[in-house]
Amino acid sequence: MYGSLDISTSGMIAQRTRLDVISANIANKGAILDAEGNYNPFRRRMTMLAPGNPNASSARGRELGVQVKEIALDKAPFRLKYQPNSPHADEQGYIREPNIDTTTEQIDAMEAVRAYEANVAAAEAQKSMLGQGLRLLA
Amino acid sequence: MTLSDHVTNSGALPSLARTIQFAGRRQSVIAHNIANASTPRFQHKDVSPAEFQSALREAIDDRRSRTGGGHGELRLESTRQIEVTDRGLQFTAETQSGRGVLSHDQNNRDLESLMKDLTENQAAFRVATELMRTQAGTMRAAITERP
Repeated sequence: MYGSLDISTSGMIAQRTRLDVISANIANKGAILDAEGNYNPFRRRMTMLAPGNPNASSARGRELGVQVKEIALDKAPFRLKYQPNSPHADEQGYIREPNIDTTTEQIDAMEAVRAYEANVAAAEAQKSMLGQGLRLLA
Repeated sequence: MTLSDHVTNSGALPSLARTIQFAGRRQSVIAHNIANASTPRFQHKDVSPAEFQSALREAIDDRRSRTGGGHGELRLESTRQIEVTDRGLQFTAETQSGRGVLSHDQNNRDLESLMKDLTENQAAFRVATELMRTQAGTMRAAITERP
């Protein structure tokens, strides 16, 4: 029965990772340079979830739960901004900005928080059931 | 029949034990569904409590016809979704594709009914453990000869 706590934990980890990715997206909304300082706008990151949890201790635990399969790049085109005086502007005077929309990120963040809370509720239920099971012995 | 068999198989204890096993197992299926509430293309899985309850009812009827009901081994039969083994119950959770509304990511999540299942399952577990505790208390009173 300890397995159920693993499942809810995997859900919480997945949702927290998702929230981390969303935070990174929002933080990098204006980042048009990469870490080395070259002109390379930040691409939006997306968290890919899949059923199953390779970190679980038991075979049954590996079947259940959820995992972050990969953090993929959003292929949507960059947003263009008219900024003719920028050193990175193209011939028409546009620079490319990250393909991040804060509204989408906010909605995504809300969904992740709610999903996290649902996992917390499942873990709480599990905890109280464990407590009741132990009280049988006392 | 040995004395210990008389104690462990007396009254409602075996059916309570099966109920606790079932609720404990189903908890992990529900937790799995909740953990995957935002996984694309994930389909809700479940084991039917009704199927378990009817198997349990048949086992109780069977025990009653064999021994009169107050004691004796409870022979729970395996069903389509629930396999009865020496180490407890093994589940084959079935995909519930007809349930809930299919979202754009092909996930038929339905958080409200998941939470309802969770609460219901927890309540079933609590009822069974409390009843078992009461029975154990009665037994302890008999052993210690103190009410």
